[in-house]
Amino acid sequence: MPGLTSPKTRRTAGARLAVVAATAVLPLALASCTDNANANATGATDGPIQVTSTDTECKVSAAVAPSGNLTFAVKNDGAEVTEFYVLAEDGLRIVAEVENIGPGITRNLVLTAPAGKYTTACKPGMQGDGIRADFTVKDSGKQATADADHQKLVDTGVTQYTAYVKDQTEQLVAGTREFAAAYAAGDAAKAKSLYAATRMHWERIEPVAESFGDLDPKLDAREADLEPGQKWTGWHRAEKDLFPPAGYKALTAAERSAISKQLVADTGELSTRTRTVELSADKLGNGAKELLDEVARGKVTGEEEIWSHTDLWDFQANVDGARIAFENLKPALEQKDAALAKDLDAKFSALQAELKTHAKGDGFAYYNELSKDEVQQLSALVDALGEPLSKLTAAVVL
Amino acid sequence: MTANFLIGLREGLEATLIVVLLMAYLTKSGRRALLPRLWAGVGIAVAVSVGFGALLTFGPRGLTFEAQEAIGGGLSIVAVGLVTWMVFWMARTARTLGSELRSRVDGVADGAAWGLVLVAALAVGREGLETALFLWAAAQASGESGTPLSGALLGLAVAAGLGYLLHRGVLKVNLSRFFTWTGVALVVIAGGVLAYGVHDLQEAGILPGLHSLAFDVSAAVPPSSWYGTLLKGTLNFSPATTWLEATAWVLYAVPVMFCYLRANFRRRLRPAAETPAATAAIAS
Repeated sequence: MPGLTSPKTRRTAGARLAVVAATAVLPLALASCTDNANANATGATDGPIQVTSTDTECKVSAAVAPSGNLTFAVKNDGAEVTEFYVLAEDGLRIVAEVENIGPGITRNLVLTAPAGKYTTACKPGMQGDGIRADFTVKDSGKQATADADHQKLVDTGVTQYTAYVKDQTEQLVAGTREFAAAYAAGDAAKAKSLYAATRMHWERIEPVAESFGDLDPKLDAREADLEPGQKWTGWHRAEKDLFPPAGYKALTAAERSAISKQLVADTGELSTRTRTVELSADKLGNGAKELLDEVARGKVTGEEEIWSHTDLWDFQANVDGARIAFENLKPALEQKDAALAKDLDAKFSALQAELKTHAKGDGFAYYNELSKDEVQQLSALVDALGEPLSKLTAAVVL
Repeated sequence: MTANFLIGLREGLEATLIVVLLMAYLTKSGRRALLPRLWAGVGIAVAVSVGFGALLTFGPRGLTFEAQEAIGGGLSIVAVGLVTWMVFWMARTARTLGSELRSRVDGVADGAAWGLVLVAALAVGREGLETALFLWAAAQASGESGTPLSGALLGLAVAAGLGYLLHRGVLKVNLSRFFTWTGVALVVIAGGVLAYGVHDLQEAGILPGLHSLAFDVSAAVPPSSWYGTLLKGTLNFSPATTWLEATAWVLYAVPVMFCYLRANFRRRLRPAAETPAATAAIAS
């Protein structure tokens, strides 16, 4: 009750009201600007859409417009005061309106309209539902400025991943030389100790390596997957020789030397080619997914390292490769789908935590030491991660 | 011509009515010294509206429809708050008329006097932007023909003239009646302004219920008719009123009117010993 307050409080109430009014309106006004269209607006529109309102008619010069800033120049050629509305598809919600268009007056209505169906209406006499017509806004596909920022983030991510691939390749080349030397010299113990750790560099960048169709089989073919007539070379040939099954006939020194030479040469070729490979966001996203599929298909089953049982090393390396790709794309992803980024973060962490429980020294437990349940647990976590990961590319690129 | 004239008249009346009543009040209670403040408020509102309107019309940036409605609606609702507070302030100070207490009350009420500037500014400014945009549009059309602008300006001038006549007429009214009825008129007008503000916010989609109408008498009172214009300009009566508007009007006008009349009633029956029956009779 203002009548009961003391004069002092009333004065401050007045002052407070003034402050409230000013503070409420000013930012509102500043934040509510829209570009006035100039007559030479870019895009498909040639200046504003002309609307002519008479007492009986509502002529709209175009029924379709590209999305973005729309300008309607509404001229009143009638004798009554008119109003012009742009209504949502339901014909109820007002998207924008301009009132008090007296006879002979033209008033502009500027709005930013997303693609969709709308209704236009002139209201001569300022009453009733008005003279209505359908209006469509088509997606103009104009890149907004936000997209430029987004592209920057994507580009940064791709650059980072390219550097990661280069680094892993260099380590693979060096590691392969060392392994090949030990293996060719018949130092089985050293070769065995280097085998899994060196292969991790390969497994981390496998999607990139696999993109060179001829190199992948030469370097990483498994005996079970050999085509008829295909010469078996590469890592797994050496693996069988180093971790021989019962009744296996060991290779001669000359054969070992040939395989070693070939391994080093092919890895060198891989390194040369990766230097000029053009990566892109979709390759990163799809590559991350491929790595996970790779885990689900080969590593979980224990088929990859059938003699050495070092599957968990490969497993970890595949997860590393996928996680780095995801993390490089994460800033761009957070702009588009923060929830997905959060989900992926959580699921990568869960899988990593589970893998850690099998760590031993510098490496891991051998895969044949894992119980059925443990394998099952890993498999479930891989599947859980694979589902959101398959959405990564679309979320970032589209 | 007529249509543009009526728009000018309507917008003009909406702006002048509250100012006129405040002016009459100040004159009547011997506070003519405060009149310049009222004019300052009006001047500020006109200048800001015209300048801002020109900027939005000719500048590189316009105002979104939602923002325009939110400004009109928001300012209207703030104006209602201020007018209400003014009405009760007037009721209080009216009691001290002719007593030596008055100067003391006025001294304390300096803040309230500054409030006068604000009330006047808001009363004019709440619709000022829309009016200015309309006038600039009319001015742009003058290239083709001068009639829209002259019609609109004539409407504004007539509104100002009517305001002046009202001012003169009101001054002739008996003193105690005058205070009661200016207050009552201000409360009714403020109720209309509140409903108007609610409607603006409904159009902007800030408040719901734009399409649930309490009544629609557009057929009987066309908004484009002269009487429709006068009703809208004075009482902010809109022929098609939404439930939310109507509810806001009732919830504001009834209790405020009751409190105001009771305050007046007390003043006249000093020492206050009113019977509930009498109060009820006045309030009803």
